[in-house]
Amino acid sequence: MTDTSPATAADTGPQAWTCPFCPLLCDTLALDAQPTPRLVGATCAKAEAALARFTPGGPPASPLLGGRAVALPEAVAAAATLLGQSRQPLFAGLGTDVAGARALYPLACATGAICDAAGGAALAQGLRVLQDRGRFSTTLAEVHERADLLVCVGTDPAQRYPLFFERCGLPPEDPKVARLDPGPEALLETVGLLAAAVEGRPLAAPLPEPLAALAARLREARYAVLVYETAALPAHGALVVEAINRIVASLNRSTRAAAMALGGGEGASTVNEVFTWLSGLPMRSRAGPAGLEHEPLRFDAARLLARGEVDLLLWVSSFSPAEPPASASVPRIVLGPPGAGQGAEVFIPVATPGVGAAGHLFRFDGSVVVPLRAVLPQGLPTVAEVVAQIQQALLRQRSAPAATVGVPA
Amino acid sequence: MSIRLIRGGRVVDPAHGIDEVRDLWIQDGRITAPPGVPADEEIDASGCVIMAGGIDLHTHIGGGKVNLARLLLPEDHRRGGDPIPLPGNPLELASCGGCAPGTLATGYRYVEMGYTAAFEPAMMACNARHAHMEMGDTPILDHGAYVMLGNDELLLEMISRGVDFQQIRDYMGWTIHAAKAMGVKVVNPGGISAFKFNQRKLDVDQAHAHWQITPRQVVNTLARGLRELGVPHPLHIHGSNLGVAGNIQSTLDTIAALEGLPGHLTHIQFHAYGTEGPKKFSSAALQLAEAVNAHANISIDVGQIMFGQTVTASGDTMRQYAQSGLAQPRKWVGADIECEAGCGVVPFRYREQSYVNALQWVIGLEIFLLVNDPWRVVLTTDHPNGGPFTSYPHLIRLLMDRSFREEQLARLHPDVAAQAALKSITRELSLSEIAIMTRAGPARLLGLADRGHLGAGAAADVVVYRDQPDREAMFTSPEYVFKDGTLVARAGRITAVTTGGTHFVEPEYDRGIEKTLRKHWEAHGSIRFDNVAIGRDELCSCCNGGRLLPAACFEVTP
Repeated sequence: MTDTSPATAADTGPQAWTCPFCPLLCDTLALDAQPTPRLVGATCAKAEAALARFTPGGPPASPLLGGRAVALPEAVAAAATLLGQSRQPLFAGLGTDVAGARALYPLACATGAICDAAGGAALAQGLRVLQDRGRFSTTLAEVHERADLLVCVGTDPAQRYPLFFERCGLPPEDPKVARLDPGPEALLETVGLLAAAVEGRPLAAPLPEPLAALAARLREARYAVLVYETAALPAHGALVVEAINRIVASLNRSTRAAAMALGGGEGASTVNEVFTWLSGLPMRSRAGPAGLEHEPLRFDAARLLARGEVDLLLWVSSFSPAEPPASASVPRIVLGPPGAGQGAEVFIPVATPGVGAAGHLFRFDGSVVVPLRAVLPQGLPTVAEVVAQIQQALLRQRSAPAATVGVPA
Repeated sequence: MSIRLIRGGRVVDPAHGIDEVRDLWIQDGRITAPPGVPADEEIDASGCVIMAGGIDLHTHIGGGKVNLARLLLPEDHRRGGDPIPLPGNPLELASCGGCAPGTLATGYRYVEMGYTAAFEPAMMACNARHAHMEMGDTPILDHGAYVMLGNDELLLEMISRGVDFQQIRDYMGWTIHAAKAMGVKVVNPGGISAFKFNQRKLDVDQAHAHWQITPRQVVNTLARGLRELGVPHPLHIHGSNLGVAGNIQSTLDTIAALEGLPGHLTHIQFHAYGTEGPKKFSSAALQLAEAVNAHANISIDVGQIMFGQTVTASGDTMRQYAQSGLAQPRKWVGADIECEAGCGVVPFRYREQSYVNALQWVIGLEIFLLVNDPWRVVLTTDHPNGGPFTSYPHLIRLLMDRSFREEQLARLHPDVAAQAALKSITRELSLSEIAIMTRAGPARLLGLADRGHLGAGAAADVVVYRDQPDREAMFTSPEYVFKDGTLVARAGRITAVTTGGTHFVEPEYDRGIEKTLRKHWEAHGSIRFDNVAIGRDELCSCCNGGRLLPAACFEVTP
């Protein structure tokens, strides 16, 4: 219907492709669409697994109303009705691009919905540190050109971000790469000790040798980068991030250093950016009766669902068939890829940005917005298009007397 | 479209030397000559002052550092422990913030004050899509941005290697084209890069630790490049040593570095400090004004500070790092970005009883009042760095009303209140001078032929203010604001939410440079070269479907 004219499969060989499936947004890849979509000239388990879902002959792509195939307008009207009746909706998942986020914000305003992205807990860890103390960060090109020490704190970045080291221009075993991964239990204490050692504070006991050596390397480096992964942090991970930031601040008094957080994929950081610029407030906010409220702890989607504090879930997941938290027992409207949305009251299949539709996503390091191209014909509407239609239907229903709801204007 | 007549107002249109009561006709979004037929709608503007829509040529309204400021300061988006109430106007979506407002609130508040265009001065090429997106989500206002150059390693390397100047010029042209920019800004020339090499200070004739070139060379090269490309807006210069006592010398050196080429010295208040007096910190406004008066190639905007809480958001990591200890609340964000630029976001509270802050306030006003030619002075607070743009009406009153100014001065740190040269300055700006500094002048400095004035054929960005002795009240809530002929605000309330257009320039350059740039990006870049440039269709989607408003470049005479 609203396909953004991707190259038709027959007339092209491998085409340039920007992968939307992790926040590195690698854009030097190539994709061969035939016979099944396949990565060419690079190896990335994550991209390959995601692409396998786009093999022709996948699940049917019709909107579903209570499991029954319906036309899009009917599904849209039903979604609008549910939203109109909800006393406290939750918009979660939020796996979408800039355009989707731009469309979701007015709908969230119109319904008073609370918004929280999938992986919202990890996002909130980083956000809390930012709100409390700030940070000093860097970006991929700087690491590529400048870093003479890259310390991976509590993470093996390549596990969830397979091409991370390639993007940094460093083989994983490069002597410039150091690892500090004592396990989640010991992470906070270890990073705290390292911070103390870097700052030159007196310690109760001598530092274990590897840690003392790492502290010395950090002090000697001209441009040290500490990379961590917000989703891999233990409980109270914000404290770990603070300690990392303390190390950076302390190094910056005499040399140069910066931190870099991995995370925010599948649209999470993108939606956070967009909502922040539109409203002034990040995720875990709502336009509620008392005003624009930001509640980083109370407006946790998983918590709200577990405690039954919301009565409707709009779940958006255009990059993967991820499901809402298992505790979600409220009625659901799901915008996702074909085959998702099991058990949802309303399911509307949507295009995946970077596969079936063009779009934009923020890279994990925050400064770069990467354009995504449509590379396969999906024949599905985008999240932005569907949400705009739901918004229009909702406004029509609200302005129409109850008896005439559903009658075309 | 209907014909509208605004009858009997005092039209202040300095671009045409007009300050008199006359009628103004609007048709099809443009100012027209009297059409010879009756108007469909008539507005009685007797007792009102009519000006073109305000144009802010330096305001941080969109892009990475602005969003970081919002994220850093949740306290700016609530009232104590309470949330900010939702807008009472159904045309507005919820959006809030004082010094770091959401884009929606930014648009509404600017328009309510009679502004119809705003320019983001510090767009990084790598962040250009983001900046355009935020500006596109700033309703009603037209917008544009200056792309930052002069701290990108490529340009510094080119100067250092002494490559053919043509190549540098073409690289600048390509960058403007790629980022869809309205001009070029340089921030602490070479200094942001130098900070990445652990250099903490860079004077105008001091060598960059790595590239061994000086800010003087960077400024001169960029100004020359823009001249050759025919870009109307002069090089937008955030000079060396921002905020440092004695930095007037750097400012004078920067003016000299231009060698007569056009240059716009931005937020000049922060660059006009001497070292006299007990605190070794003094006003150099007079020296600065003399230099500006003597150099017709120089224009300035002031960057007036306003007392109260704000946040400083800048590309100048070197100077923001140095100031970060003064953060209030005590937190700040900094970043090195893409071998191209950086950013530093430091919250700050300007206090009347602080000697330094009081003097900064005085210096800004002195500059406004000591520079002779209002066409080369633009009214700004460097939003939000000196204070939020919502303080413009207060600033206008300070400039137009000497007794009000003196009342305010008397409240400041006693040493400043007693000694400031400002006390003896009697000048009060006229409505015409305010109109120059807030619309006609910036339009001319940007090369916007059909904005900033009310001549036939101009875009109908028109503001009708009730003429009141209290100029702050007058400029806070105009009676009517028209954007391209549409009534968008009435007595301080938004009446229509349109999507603004995007101003940019497309200078001619030799596309052969792309071969060199492609190689550079392949070796050093973090994104594919083909993904760097924003196409027109893409710009349109970034900017929310607003109109594209390419401005003409001037004919380059060899």
